[in-house]
Amino acid sequence: MTTRPRLNLGSHLIPGLVALALFVVLALVFLTASFPAPQGFDGAPITPSIGYAMFDLAGGQIPSESFLIAFEIIDLVLIAALAAAVMLARREGDGKLVGIEEIRTDGGHSRDSTTDADADPDSGSDAEVTNDTDPNTATGSDTATPTGEEAN
Amino acid sequence: MSVAEASTTAFAFEVAPAIAVLPLASFVIALFAGKYFPKKGALAGVTATGGSLLLSLWVMLTVAGGAYYNEEIYTLVSTPESFDLHFGVLLDPLSALMLVIVSLVSFLVHVFSLGYMNDEGERGLPRYYAGLGLFSFSMLAFVFADNLFMSFVFFELVGLCSWLLIGHWYREDAPPSAAKKAFLVTRFGDYFFLIGVVAVFATFGTATFAGSESFPVLAEEALTDGGAGGELSTFGLGAQTWFTVLGFLILGGVIGKSAQFPLHTWLPDAMEGPTPVSALIHAATMVAAGVYLVARMYGFYALSPTALAVIAFVGGFTALFAASMAVVKRDVKQVLAYSTISQYGYMMLGLGAGGYVAAVFHLMTHAFFKALLFLGAGAVIIAMHHRQDMWEMGGLREKLPVTYYTFLAGSLALAGIVPFAGFWSKDEVLYEALVHGLTDPLLLVAYLMGLIAVFFTGFYTFRMVLLTFHGEPRTHTARNPHLPGWNVKFPLVVLGILATVIGLTNMTPVAEATGLEIEFLHTWLEHGIEGLNSEHYGELLETVAGYSAAELSPLLAAALSLALALGGAGLAYSLYSGDRPDRHTDRLGDARTLLMNNYYQDEYQVWIAETFGTGVARLSDRFDQSIVDGAVNGVSSVSLFSGGRIRRIQTGIVSNYATLLTLGLVALLLVVGLTGGWFL
Amino acid sequence: MVAVQYYLLLSGAIFCIGLFGILTRRNALFFLMSVELMLNAANINLVAFSFQYGNLTGQVFSLFITALAAAEVAVGIGIILVLYRNFGDVDVTKATTLRW
Repeated sequence: MTTRPRLNLGSHLIPGLVALALFVVLALVFLTASFPAPQGFDGAPITPSIGYAMFDLAGGQIPSESFLIAFEIIDLVLIAALAAAVMLARREGDGKLVGIEEIRTDGGHSRDSTTDADADPDSGSDAEVTNDTDPNTATGSDTATPTGEEAN
Repeated sequence: MSVAEASTTAFAFEVAPAIAVLPLASFVIALFAGKYFPKKGALAGVTATGGSLLLSLWVMLTVAGGAYYNEEIYTLVSTPESFDLHFGVLLDPLSALMLVIVSLVSFLVHVFSLGYMNDEGERGLPRYYAGLGLFSFSMLAFVFADNLFMSFVFFELVGLCSWLLIGHWYREDAPPSAAKKAFLVTRFGDYFFLIGVVAVFATFGTATFAGSESFPVLAEEALTDGGAGGELSTFGLGAQTWFTVLGFLILGGVIGKSAQFPLHTWLPDAMEGPTPVSALIHAATMVAAGVYLVARMYGFYALSPTALAVIAFVGGFTALFAASMAVVKRDVKQVLAYSTISQYGYMMLGLGAGGYVAAVFHLMTHAFFKALLFLGAGAVIIAMHHRQDMWEMGGLREKLPVTYYTFLAGSLALAGIVPFAGFWSKDEVLYEALVHGLTDPLLLVAYLMGLIAVFFTGFYTFRMVLLTFHGEPRTHTARNPHLPGWNVKFPLVVLGILATVIGLTNMTPVAEATGLEIEFLHTWLEHGIEGLNSEHYGELLETVAGYSAAELSPLLAAALSLALALGGAGLAYSLYSGDRPDRHTDRLGDARTLLMNNYYQDEYQVWIAETFGTGVARLSDRFDQSIVDGAVNGVSSVSLFSGGRIRRIQTGIVSNYATLLTLGLVALLLVVGLTGGWFL
Repeated sequence: MVAVQYYLLLSGAIFCIGLFGILTRRNALFFLMSVELMLNAANINLVAFSFQYGNLTGQVFSLFITALAAAEVAVGIGIILVLYRNFGDVDVTKATTLRW
C-alpha cells in the first residue's frame, strides 16, 4: 500500500525563501528590461538545420557555427561519465558492493528495521516498508497493518 | 725613490690585511681540524702569528721609510648623500708599532701555550687555540682599523674572545662566572661607545681617523676656523661642549675595556682563565685596546680639555687605587692583575696630561714586561702544579733560574727601576703630568696620585718576587717544582731581553741631560700622516685645549719617582727578605680587610645592579608582558575567538552551502542591479 | 510572437523551483532531479535567445546540455552510491565530515 503525498511544512522550508527571493529579483530584472522584436527563423526548417550544423555539413538554411568538435568532446565526456559511474558503483570480487554488507531497498532510512525485516520473512510486506520508522512493526504483520492504515 | 722601491712599498701595504687574516685562518684550522693535528692546532697558531709578526715588521720598516697607507678595502653599506660603513686599513707609525707589539706577544703566547696547555695535558685544546687565533685576529684588525665603526666591530670581537678564553675551563665554577662578568662589565662601557659611534656619524657624517675628511680634522676646523662649525650639527650645544660629550661617550668603552675605575672589577676575576690568555689580554690585546683607541683618535681628544682632564684624573686615581689593592693579595696572578689596572691608569694619565708619546711609550714597554710577568707567573704555576698562592711558594730561585731572572727583569721594569723599560716610560708619563699639572690643579692631583702609586708599585712588585722566589720553600710542592721546558723558557728570554732594553729607545732624561738625539720614539711618532702625528697633537693641545708646559728638568722628576720606587722596593725587602717572612699585611687590620675585599667595589656594583637594574628590568618586563605581549596575544585571541565563531558557518551540510551561495547571488544581483539601474 | 521576457520568466521560475528543491530537500536523489530542472531552465534560455537572434547555436547547445545532463546524472548517481556506502544513508545532512 502506498501513501498519498503530503505537504510537509516546517522550518526546513526556510532556505527555500532564498530561492523565492532570487526569483523575485530575476522577475524584476526581466520585466523591467526591454528587448527588440525577435528575429525568428522565418519559417526555415529548424531540425534539419541543427543536424547539418552539428555535423558540419552544407545545406543548413539557418546561419550557425560548426559543432563537430564539440560533438566529439561531448561524446568523450559521456563515455568518461559512464566509466566513472561504473567505477563508483563497482562491486567487489565476491559480488558485494564496496563497504557494505547487503543492498538495502528502503531508501536507507533505518538500518535496524531493514535487518529485522530480513530476519523475519513474514513481515516483508509493503506496509512493513512504509512504516519502518515505528519499532513496533517489527513484531509482526498483524500489528503492522493497522498502523499502516492509520498512517493513511 | 726608484720604481722598484715604490712597488715593494705598495706590496707591503697590499699584504697588510694578511696580518690579521693569518690568525683568522689559524682560528678556522684549529676549530675544525685542530683535533687531527699532533699539537691540536698550536702549530697553525704559531705559524700564523709568526707570519703576522714578520709581515708587521715589514710594514714597520716600510713605514719607517716614510710611506703611509690609508685605504678602504671593503664597503659594507654605502649611502650616497650621508655616510658609508666600510672596513679599511690605516698604517701609520702608531698602528705599525702596535701591530708589531701585538703580533709579537701573540706569537710568544702561542709558543708558551705549548708548555702551559699541551704539556700539562689540558683538554679542549682546539677550542683554546681557536680562541687565541680569533683573539689575535680581532686585535690586529682593530689596530689597523681606519675608522671608528670598524674599531667598534673589532672592539666587540675582542670582548667576545675574552669571554671565550676566560671561560675556557667552563666545567669549573669560577671561570664561567668570571667570563660572564668580564663580558657584561665591558659591555656596559661599550653601550656608551656604541652611542658615541652613532653620534660621531650623526655629527660629522664620517668616522675615519685619517685624511682631510676625517672626523678629528672636521672637529678641529670647526673649533679653529669657527666658520665650518656651522655645518656640523651639534644638537644645540656649543661645538666644544658637544665634542666633549662625544669624547666621554667613546671614553665609556675605553674605561670598560682598559679596566679603569669604576669598571675595573672584571679584570681581577678574569685571572680565572689560563695564564697565557691573561698575558695576552693584559699585555697586548683586550686591555690595550682601550688605551690604543684613545691614542688612535688623540687628535679628537686633544680638542677637549675637559675630556683630557677627566682621562688624566681617572687614570691617576686608578693607578693609585689598584696599586693599593695589589699590596695585600696572596695570589700571584691577582697581584699582576691589579698591577695591570694600575699601569693602564698610568697610560690614561699620560694621555690625559698631554703626553701622547709618553703614553704610547708606556703602552709598548708595558706590553713587553707585563707579558713577561704573566708568562713568568705561568712558568711558576706550572712548577707549582697549578697552585697560585704565594705563601705556598718560596725559594724557587735555585730551581728555576731562567724564570727567576727574567721575572726579575720584568719586576724591575714594572717597579720602574733604572734602567729597565718601565722606568723610562713611567717616568716620562709622570714628567708630562707634572709639567702640565703645574698650571692645572686637577692634573697636579692626578700626578700626585700617580706618584704615590709608584711607591706602592715598588712595594707589591718586590713583595711578589720575594715571596715567590726567595726565602725557604714553604711547601712540599715548592721544594720539588716541575721544571718547565724550552717552549716556556724561550718566550721568557725574548721578553726578558725586551723588557730590559726596550726602554733605551726613548731615554728622555738622558737626552735632556746630554743633548743627544736619542728619543727614537719621539722621532718615530712625530712623522706620520698629516694631522696624525705627535707634533700636530702638541699644537692642538696648546692652541685648542690650552695646555701649557712648565719648564722643568726631567731629571728631577725622574729622580723623585725612582726614589719612591726604590723606597717601596726597599720596604718590601726589609719586610719579606728573610728565610721565613712574616705575614706583615695582617698588621694592617681593618685596612687589609678593606683591601682584600677590593674596597667592596663588587658589592656596591652588585647592589646598584640589583636595585636599579632589577627595577628597570621589572619595568621593562611589565611593559613587555602587558603591552607588547598584550597586543600580540590580543590579536591572536581576537582571531581565535572570531574564527571559532565564524567557523560555525561551515556545517558540512551541502544545503547550507547552497543557501549561502544563493544568498550571495541574490545580494550580488541586487547590488549590481541597483548600481546599474536595472530596476528602473 | 511571444516576447522574450516571458521565456526568461519561465526559465527563471523553473530554475528557482529547482533551487528550491536543492535548498529544502535532504535526499540526494531529489538533488539530482532538481539539478535536472535547473539545467532545463538554462535550455529554455538558450532556445529563447536562439529564436531572438535568429541563430541556431543556442538550439544546438541545448542539445549538448541535455547530453551533459546525462553525464552529470551518471556521475551523480555514482556519487550517491558511494555516499550511501560510507554513511549508510542518502541524506545529505548526514555527510558532514568534510568540514573543520
